[in-house]
Amino acid sequence: MVSRQPIRIGVDTGGTFTDFVFERDGRVELFKLPSTPSDPSLAIQEGLNRICADTGSELDHIEVVHGTTVGTNALLQRKGARIALVTTAGFEDVLAIGRQARPELYNLNAIKPPPLVADELRLGVAERVVASGEVLEPLYERDLKNLVRKLKQAGVEAVAVSLLFSFLHPEHEERIASALASLDVPLSISSRIHPEYREYERTSTVVINAYLQPLMGRYLQRLSKQQGTQLNLRVMQSSGGSISADVAAIEPVRTILSGPSGGVVGALRAAHSAGLQNVITFDMGGTSTDVALCDSGAIRTTNEATVAGLPVAVSVMDIHTVGAGGGSIARVDEGGSLRVGPESAGADPGPACYGRSLLPTVTDAHVVLGHFGGAGLLGGEFKLDEKRAREAMSGLANDLGRVSGKRCSVIAAAEGVLSVANTNMERALRHISVERGHDPRQFALLPFGGAGGLHAVDLARALRIPTIIAPTAPGALSAVGVLVADVIKDQSRTVMFTYAAKEIAKLGSVFREMEKEATTVLRGEGFSRSKQRHERSLAMRYRGQSFELEIPETSGDLATAFHRAHLERYGYAQEHSEIEIVSARLRSFGLVEKLAQTRIGASRQRRKTKPHHEVTAHIDGRKATVGLYKRNELLAGAKLQTPCIVTEYSATTLIPSDAHARVDQFGNLLIEI
Amino acid sequence: MKSNFDPTTLEIYRALFTSVAEEMGVALRRTAFSPNIKERRDYSCAVFDAQGRVIAQGDHMPVHLGSMPMAVAAALEQIELAPGDVVALNDPFAGGTHLPDVTLVMPVVSKQRKLFYVANRAHHADIGGATPGSMGLATDIYGEGLRIPPIRLVRNGTLDADTMRLLLANVRGNVERRGDFDAQIGSLKTGATRLLEIIERRGEREAVEYASQLIDYSARLMRYTIAAIPDGSYGAEDFLDDDGVDDRAVLIKVRIVVKGEQALVDFTGSAPQVTGAINAVEAITVSAVSYVFRCLVGGEVPASAGLMAPIEVIAPRGTVVNANPPASVAGGNVETSQRIVDVLFRALANALPDRIPAASQGTMNNLTIGGIDTRNGQEFSYYETVAGGMGARPALEGMNGVHTHMTNSLNTPAEAI
Repeated sequence: MVSRQPIRIGVDTGGTFTDFVFERDGRVELFKLPSTPSDPSLAIQEGLNRICADTGSELDHIEVVHGTTVGTNALLQRKGARIALVTTAGFEDVLAIGRQARPELYNLNAIKPPPLVADELRLGVAERVVASGEVLEPLYERDLKNLVRKLKQAGVEAVAVSLLFSFLHPEHEERIASALASLDVPLSISSRIHPEYREYERTSTVVINAYLQPLMGRYLQRLSKQQGTQLNLRVMQSSGGSISADVAAIEPVRTILSGPSGGVVGALRAAHSAGLQNVITFDMGGTSTDVALCDSGAIRTTNEATVAGLPVAVSVMDIHTVGAGGGSIARVDEGGSLRVGPESAGADPGPACYGRSLLPTVTDAHVVLGHFGGAGLLGGEFKLDEKRAREAMSGLANDLGRVSGKRCSVIAAAEGVLSVANTNMERALRHISVERGHDPRQFALLPFGGAGGLHAVDLARALRIPTIIAPTAPGALSAVGVLVADVIKDQSRTVMFTYAAKEIAKLGSVFREMEKEATTVLRGEGFSRSKQRHERSLAMRYRGQSFELEIPETSGDLATAFHRAHLERYGYAQEHSEIEIVSARLRSFGLVEKLAQTRIGASRQRRKTKPHHEVTAHIDGRKATVGLYKRNELLAGAKLQTPCIVTEYSATTLIPSDAHARVDQFGNLLIEI
Repeated sequence: MKSNFDPTTLEIYRALFTSVAEEMGVALRRTAFSPNIKERRDYSCAVFDAQGRVIAQGDHMPVHLGSMPMAVAAALEQIELAPGDVVALNDPFAGGTHLPDVTLVMPVVSKQRKLFYVANRAHHADIGGATPGSMGLATDIYGEGLRIPPIRLVRNGTLDADTMRLLLANVRGNVERRGDFDAQIGSLKTGATRLLEIIERRGEREAVEYASQLIDYSARLMRYTIAAIPDGSYGAEDFLDDDGVDDRAVLIKVRIVVKGEQALVDFTGSAPQVTGAINAVEAITVSAVSYVFRCLVGGEVPASAGLMAPIEVIAPRGTVVNANPPASVAGGNVETSQRIVDVLFRALANALPDRIPAASQGTMNNLTIGGIDTRNGQEFSYYETVAGGMGARPALEGMNGVHTHMTNSLNTPAEAI
């Protein structure tokens, strides 16, 4: 057989479709298959067989990177394993009490979800390590024997271990791990998975890990053993890089936002192709909207994420989700305010224009205003019932007229729904930008998902974002992202010292030690030295604070950089206060071959391109005849007449008259306002 | 319902003003020094109109819900705030609740005119007095700590160093206190900047008008809620075991009269104020009433001044629900407030048996620890409240290990203390 480069394939499992992206002869190809929710590996198997048949490859000669929702769904639906938790005696209920706050302050019927580990399976062992790391009470051998016996009887499928202050003194957890090895079930050890302080958040993280281990282990096993062949399989992790399937099976908590993080990586790639480094991604779907901020070409991560109401303290891409989407239902409340969402019409019965309900939704507002150009969805395959949309919106208009005492037209009602929906989404965008000290004027907005392009210009105006980039193939961005994501390994060492020159000098050896370790691991995964990159940063704070800011190690004088960062983020700096360096962090990348950027044909026209045809639509409060462009007919360099609507297979973009729009050489649509 | 407003604009301002209060909260939590603020989130932030009426408040601490407006009212009454000034106060008899809760107020000025105020309140882990944590068994307010009437802490943008020195000389752990004050001031600036952006973007007239519309909106929702309660007079009473000084039970008595869209809440007959520190000031009692009715509204409602418009509260002076100076009041905020809520719900259960839960733990289980750290000779103080159970609901079990009613502070991780 001729030796050649293996085919690399990105696979993203979504609720409706499973997307496949691969590269052949320097061209990127993509297709969709219906997902198989009962066992997502079935659709994947079908897709891989198809690619192999098409390209004449063998299953053992392809590389697959996978964005999965198996972990997220199991957690959301509470379908994980029967597990036990071993913890310091007296702290068995940390998991049940959490941070003791209730999620809804004024809801007398709030329900607190039960912990993932049943009461009788949260087992305490006598031992105590104190805040200095010293052992106050040792761990006794006889207790370990009892523990193993109890767990054997209980018949659990996995065990989480999280002792107090284990990040300072991991030995007790390690001894428990050795003793539990005889159970022959997966273990999740807190000092290995997340050696950081805050016992509830750490325990929650390892418990989620244990809860998902058996299921994820079986799933990845099934997936990587394709028709008797061992597949080269990697899994997208929540922080924006991929990990090997073996690591994902041991630490599935790292894949909890696998799918959405692929979308952000894909979005960032599109931004880079257009020469943009600072972007805010905006993924608007039917029921929810995900937003994320990337500055200086990098993805931001957080250790304070919450998934399915439970804290996840490992590094997760900082994606903020709000319950607002195309299906959000509009209504007038008892006080006379126009509310949009969080209730959603979902896919079934769906918005009024889907023909099965009379619920006025955001999508119906767009239909009434003519924003789809009468074209329907999915390239016209999915027809929209304009009459029903109008009927639903007219009901809302009546309600609005009744409370305000002024007649309200159907058009005004639809425009009102969009204003409110935009305000809700603007809040989400502010949350990840302004509230964290970023000036939106220095960013571009990158909409994707079916409805992103319909709202992008209004949102950009509200936040004074000057540029919008609508990427090509917005429907397959996640699969592309999964495929191009670098391999990422994060390390952190708690150093905890007060800022001083002689202490800073010691950092060099700490970083070098971490780099040595990362280099070895990455080389083992096939990345030579030249295919590696290491980023050093420091978690710093004023002495007395308990939240740190992450400062790149290369930024010259560290104290100045920290004061500046604090000023930017919080509006003040305390230049006379002591600074603490809490930990040294290293993010190591195994650099993945970049996908070819497909250039599209160029336009020779110097004048603005003529639209495909003209339609009537309401844009910016005015009824007008506007041009409708078909995305796939646009050539590089084309300049669009505005106002206009740009339609494509899975998305629609709305461009008002005061914006300038052009197509770049890779097919990205760039809108300047 | 006839009112001259646009429902869309109203909804937009509901979101805008609420997000200002929330952003202030994020800024405060992220920059504070004490675990009590940054880990336990024992604070509240709010936005007020030019008359000092609350427009929006972040979902922070319910006990601050009705009492923050009284603090701002007291500040505006006593001090003519100039641009760049920040007023601090904690006097329970002038708009405060108990001494550790220090409120800061700042005007938001556009073209030389004060259009809005922003305020935040944070529970400081120590505010002086006989015991660390300032929550001890004092028998008058002087023993509980430093009493701060409305005073300027910042003048024309510059911190008043003399005042700050005086404050810091009277509290334990003054480095931490100083850091927390800075964080509070930073949070006010965040709020002011955001409001000015809104004014710039949408116009001053509309912003001011819709602040007022939001108050009317909350009032409409509350009237609608009260109208759904059957008319009648509903009474209840319960006791606090004792006041910590002697062992007599302390009576809390209420009668709620619902008539159409109005409610009268009358505490006449409650026990006279006591020697121990469980006296509630009026702001606390109003907060408790405000919380209980807010729960009945359901859904998201701006916590604006309008919520209390259709509700009248009678809390006779000199009683445990409206103490006169120099009563000690530290526990009124954290103990008595919870029992007041239970009594109010007990009364309402007669009217709405299908909606009202059984009594909850009726306390916040306050714990303060303090002294000298033998390792470094430095003073420290630490404050915690411990969650308990929530009473059963008509169709649901209660909850355990959760903070109820007037508080929602987080616990401090054992690994963070």
